[in-house]
Amino acid sequence: MTGGIPGISAASTASATATATATATAGIPTLDRLAAEGATGALHGCVGALYLTDGAVVHAESPVVPDMGWRLTAGGRLSPEAWEEAVAEGGPGYRAGNLLVERGRLSRGELELCHLSALFDAAYFVLSPLDRSQHAPDRFLGEARHWLGPIRPVPVPVLQREVGRRRRLLERAWPCPEVDAAPVVPVSDGDRGGPGPASGRQAVLAAADGVRTPVQIARALGRSAFATLLDVRRLAAAGLVRTPRADAPALPGPPPPTAPEISLLYRIRDALEAL
Amino acid sequence: MTNTETALKDAMSSIEGALGAALVDYGSGMALGTLGGSQSLDLNVAAAGNTDVVRAKLRTMEMLNIQDSIEDILITLSGQYHLIRLLTGRGGSGLFLYLVLDARRANLAMARHQLKRIEAELEV
Repeated sequence: MTGGIPGISAASTASATATATATATAGIPTLDRLAAEGATGALHGCVGALYLTDGAVVHAESPVVPDMGWRLTAGGRLSPEAWEEAVAEGGPGYRAGNLLVERGRLSRGELELCHLSALFDAAYFVLSPLDRSQHAPDRFLGEARHWLGPIRPVPVPVLQREVGRRRRLLERAWPCPEVDAAPVVPVSDGDRGGPGPASGRQAVLAAADGVRTPVQIARALGRSAFATLLDVRRLAAAGLVRTPRADAPALPGPPPPTAPEISLLYRIRDALEAL
Repeated sequence: MTNTETALKDAMSSIEGALGAALVDYGSGMALGTLGGSQSLDLNVAAAGNTDVVRAKLRTMEMLNIQDSIEDILITLSGQYHLIRLLTGRGGSGLFLYLVLDARRANLAMARHQLKRIEAELEV
């Protein structure tokens, strides 16, 4: 397989605007260095973690993104028991992913696609935090490994290109980052003009209750947080959801990040296993 | 029980006239895997662009109130065929297979049939 991720095309580069934030690229020098060194371990912070093996990204997790288990079980693809069994039995040997295939729960193709999709989804929110006051992770825990085990490593430059492309995609859809973290408020039917939204966006609109933020909608639907964010921006551009004013008081954001606790638990577990 | 790489290799080797293949997530427009392609055919750019094609068609169907799903989309150029097959399997929502064929060498009916088979083997 050749590098599977879209590169930066001239057209999309040209459309990048001045609002591309500087905060979003913080921490990337660390990532570049780790990639160049061929490091193995976890780069973590309060917005999530990137796991590297030999300098390539093998897993990403963000507290605002539905993880692989959530995606597989929310859609009914796997029973929660089957997922937990794989985590419990495959986790200690860092091979929960392979165990799902060996037990016939998932095909290899499904495992790869679901994992890659979850990896890029989480990596976007790790490298482009929703809360602009947060920065990308900068602490590195050497030799830390993820219990899913390696599935399909992604080279760091490929990941960074994709995160940049996604950032520009959002920017092009509707250049108002305010909609990303605020509760999604549908505009009432009477105010709507033109035809209704397309199917993916319809589910998002149906789940918008004026309280949930885009990432909470993604969790409720068990789908990609980035795709939901993009749908919300497109809905805002179409005038179907309200865009909060930039000077509006801070609205309740996504659930408080749990990543530090998760990282701590991994470190404790790794330490116990080393005994 | 094939993996994505094998599925794309299978598409390239078993379908006569195949010039490139990609497996695309149309939530983001990202190619999760590509095979083939050339300097004149950047499959990553094609993946992002064809995501808009799929989205536009889905939106049009919505506007027309057509309660159905897309099986595939065929685009006929003078020298190439572009085939987009939406994956419908259990976990495959949000993905499509994209195949570029040389119009002089390809058998369209056979290519569509093969693509259906590859989708089934991918089991997504």
